[in-house]
Amino acid sequence: MDLLPVLLLTVLIVGYFVLAGCDIGLGMAAPRLARTPAERRRLVSAIAPYFLGTEVWLVAAIGVVAGLFPALKGVLFGGGGMWAVFTVLAFGWIMRDAGLWARARVDTDRWRSACDAALVGGSWTLAVCWGLAVGGLLSGGRPLTPFALACAAAVVALFLLRGAAFGAERLVPAGPSASAAGADEAARLTRLLARTALGAGLLAAVLAAVPFTGADLGRPWFALAAAAAVLAAVGATSGVSGPHLSRHTSALALGAVPVLVGTALVLPLDPAPPGTLVLVGAAVVPLLPLMVVGQVALYRMLRRPAPDHGFFVTPPPVPAGR
Amino acid sequence: MFEDPLLLARVQFALTAATHYMFVAFTLGMAPYVLFGQLRALLRVDSTGMRAVRFWGGLYLVNYAMGILSGLVMELQLTLNWSGLHDMFGYAFGAPLAIETMAAFFVESTFLGLWIFGWDRMGRWAHWSCFLVVTLTAYLSAYWVMVSNGLLKWPAGFSVRDGAAVLDDPAALMANPSATLAFAHICVSALLMGGAVVMAVSAYHLRRRRDPDGLFARALRTGTVLVLVGLVPTVVTGGTQFVMYGQEPPTSGQSYTPAEIEGIESAYGDTSTAHLIGISGDLLMMLSWAVMALLGLVTALVWMAGGLGRWRWHLRVAAVMPLFPYAASVGGWVFRETERQPWTVRHHLTTADALTEMSPLAAGASFTLFTAAFAVLGITTAWLLVRFARLGPDAGPLRAPEADGDERRDPVTPL
Ligand code: HDD
Ligand code: HEM
Ligand code: HEM
Repeated sequence: MDLLPVLLLTVLIVGYFVLAGCDIGLGMAAPRLARTPAERRRLVSAIAPYFLGTEVWLVAAIGVVAGLFPALKGVLFGGGGMWAVFTVLAFGWIMRDAGLWARARVDTDRWRSACDAALVGGSWTLAVCWGLAVGGLLSGGRPLTPFALACAAAVVALFLLRGAAFGAERLVPAGPSASAAGADEAARLTRLLARTALGAGLLAAVLAAVPFTGADLGRPWFALAAAAAVLAAVGATSGVSGPHLSRHTSALALGAVPVLVGTALVLPLDPAPPGTLVLVGAAVVPLLPLMVVGQVALYRMLRRPAPDHGFFVTPPPVPAGR
Repeated sequence: MFEDPLLLARVQFALTAATHYMFVAFTLGMAPYVLFGQLRALLRVDSTGMRAVRFWGGLYLVNYAMGILSGLVMELQLTLNWSGLHDMFGYAFGAPLAIETMAAFFVESTFLGLWIFGWDRMGRWAHWSCFLVVTLTAYLSAYWVMVSNGLLKWPAGFSVRDGAAVLDDPAALMANPSATLAFAHICVSALLMGGAVVMAVSAYHLRRRRDPDGLFARALRTGTVLVLVGLVPTVVTGGTQFVMYGQEPPTSGQSYTPAEIEGIESAYGDTSTAHLIGISGDLLMMLSWAVMALLGLVTALVWMAGGLGRWRWHLRVAAVMPLFPYAASVGGWVFRETERQPWTVRHHLTTADALTEMSPLAAGASFTLFTAAFAVLGITTAWLLVRFARLGPDAGPLRAPEADGDERRDPVTPL
C-alpha cells in the first residue's frame, strides 16, 4: 500500500518525459526540420493534438505531489534558484501551448511567425528548465553548478533526440508527391544528437566524481546504476543504427532521467494518512480504465503520418465582404 | 506595491483566477449545449444541426485553450506561491486537487483530443461519446476544485495534528456544504452564461439577416430557454449559502483558540480594502442577476408576441446579454474569496502565513511575467472568440472540410 503512491508518481513522471519528450523535442527542432510552409504545417500537426494527451501526465503528477507528497515540495522548490527555474518553466509551457493553439486561427504570415516563435522558444525553455531542474536537484538545490549545467546539457540533448526520432516517423508525408526532407533530416540528426547526449552525460558522470563541482547525491550507487542505463540507451543509437532504434532508446534514456533523480536522492516520500489515500483511491481507481482507453485510442489514431490540415493547422477562409 | 510580496501574490492570484474563471464558466456552459446539439443532429441525421455543432464547438475549443493555459498557471501558482497552504493542508486541500488532475482533467483533455481529431476518423456515435466524456469530466473537474475551495471557507473533515491537517473523514470533505452548494450555484450560473452567449451570437447574425438554414433562429430560442430556466435556481443555490454566514466551521478552535481568532479578526477589521472590494463584488452579482431577470422577462414577452428573432430592437438588446453573467461570475468569486480574509483557511491559517517566503524581487518578477502573459493571452482569446462568433459557421475553426473545397484531405466518412 505504501509503495502504490510512489509507483503512481513514478509512472506519471516517466510517462510525461517519454511522451511529452516527443512533442517538446520536435518543437525545438522545428527551425531545422521544417523550412517551407507546408513542412511547418505538417510539423505542427505532428505535435497537436498529440500534446493534449501528453502534458496531462505532468498535470497529474503535480496533483499527486500536492495531494499525496506535500513534503516533496520542499525539495523540489527549495531555495530561490529552483523556484525561479520552475517559474520560468511554467512560463515556457504557457508560451508553447499558446503558440500551438493559436497558430491556425489567423491567416497571416506575421501571426504564424509569432506563433512559431512561441512554439520554438517555449519548447526550448521547457527543455532547458527541465535540464536545470534535474541538475539542480542533483546538486542539492543549486541549478547553476558546473555539474548541474552538464546534466542540463545532457537532458536538453535527450529532448532533441526524442523529438528527432519522433519526427523521423511522423513527418513522412501521406502522398507520394510531397517531399520527405524533414523526416530524412530528422533521421540524420538522431545520430549526432545521441552522441551529443552521450558526451554531456559522460561529462556529468565525471564531474559527479570531482569534488566542488556541485554534485550532491544521497545515494551515489543508485545514481550510477541509473546513469549507466541512460548512457547505455543513448550509446546504443549513437553509432550503429538509424532512426528506428532511436525511437525506443530515446524513450528509455529520457524515461530513465526522472528515475535517476528519484533514486539518487533521499526523498521525503512518507505515505499519506489513510483518509487521504482512501479518498484518492476511491475517486481515481474507477476512472483508470477510461484514462487508459483514452490514451491508447489517441496514440493509435495519431500513429499514421501527420496530415497537413485540421483544427490546429488549417486557417479560416474569410468569407467575401467581411 | 512592489515591495510587498503578500499583496503582489494576492493580486496575482486574484487576476489569474478571475481570468481563469471567465473562460472556465464558458466551457461549463457551452459543453452541454454542444453535447445535446450533436446528439440531436445525430438522431435526426441533420446536416444543418451538424453545421451548428461545428460552429459552437469551434468557439468552445478556442475558449478551452485559454481555460487550460490559465488553469496551469493556477495550479503552479498554488504550488509555488502559497506553500504554507500545502505545508499545513497538503493532505486535505491538495488531495481533491490531485483527484481533479488525475481523474477528471487527464480524461477530459485526452478525450477532447480524440474529439478534435476524430471528426472524420471515427464512427459517429464513438465520436459523440468522446464529447460525452469531455462534458462529464468537465463537471467532475469543477466539483473536485470546489471541494478544495470549499475547504478554505468551511474547513471540515480533518483534524489538526502536530500543526498539519489530517483528513480523517473523506465523506465530510466531499459533502462540505460550502463545496456542494457552490458547485450547484456554479453549474446553473454557467448554464446562464452559455445561454446568454448563444442568444447574443444568434441575435448578432439575425440582425444582419444572415441565417440561410435557420441555424441561428433555433439557437436564439434554445439560448432563451436556458437563460429562463437558469434564473431561479441561481438565486436558490446562491442564496442558500448565506445560511452558513455567522456560523463557526466545525473544526474551529483546533489551530487557534476562540480568543486568538477574535484577536486576528478584529486586528484586521471590517473596513479593510479587501472587505470593501468583496461587498462591491456581491452587489455586482446581485445587480447583474436583476438585469438578466429583467431582460429574460422581456425576451419571454417578445417570444409570446411572436417577435423573437424578428424585432430588431430586441435583437440589439439580446446581443448584450453576456455582459451580465460574466460580471456576476467575477463578482461572485471576488465576494467569496475576499469575504474569507484575513484567513486563507478560515480559523486555521492566515493569508500571511500561507504565503511562500520569497524576496520582493522574485515576487515582482513572477507577477510581471504572468500578468503580462495573461493580459496578452486573455485579450487575444477574447478577440478570437468575438471574431469567430461574427464570422459565422463558414469560417469556424471546426468547419467541415468540404467547405474549403480542398482535395488534400483523407477520405471522409459522411456524418
Ligand atoms: C468551477 C469551475 C472551476 C474553478 C473554480 C477552477 N477550475 Fe480549473 N478548470 C475547470 C474548472 C474550474 C475546467 C472546466 O475543468 C477547465 C477549464 C477548461 C478546461 O480545460 O478545464 C479547467 C482547467 C484547469 C486546468 C487545466 C490543466 C491543463 O490544461 O493541463 C488546471 C491545472 C486547473 N484548471 C486548475 C485549477 C485550480 C488550481 C483552480 C483554483 C485554484 C481552478 N482550476 C479553478
Ligand atoms: C476554486 C478554486 C480556488 C481556490 C482553491 C482558490 C484559492 C485561493 C487562495 C489560496 C488565495 C490566496 C490566499 C488568500 O487570499 O486567501 C486566493 C485568493 C483570491 N482568489 Fe481564489 N481560489 C479559487 C478560485 C478563485 C476564483 C475562480 C476567483 C475569481 C475571481 C478567485 C478570486 C480570488 C481573489 C479575488 C483572491 C484575493 C483575495 C485577497 O487576497 O483579498 N478565486 N484564492
Ligand atoms: C440574486 C441572485 C444571486 C444570489 C442571491 C447569489 C448568492 C451568492 C452567494 C451567497 C455566494 C457565495 C459567496 C460566499 O460563499 O462567500 C455566491 C457566489 C457566486 N456567485 Fe452568486 N448569487 C446570485 C446570482 C449570481 C449570478 C447571476 C451569477 C453568474 C451568472 C453568480 C455567480 C456566482 C459565482 C461564480 C460565485 C462564486 C462561487 C460560489 O460561491 O458559488 N451568482 N453567490
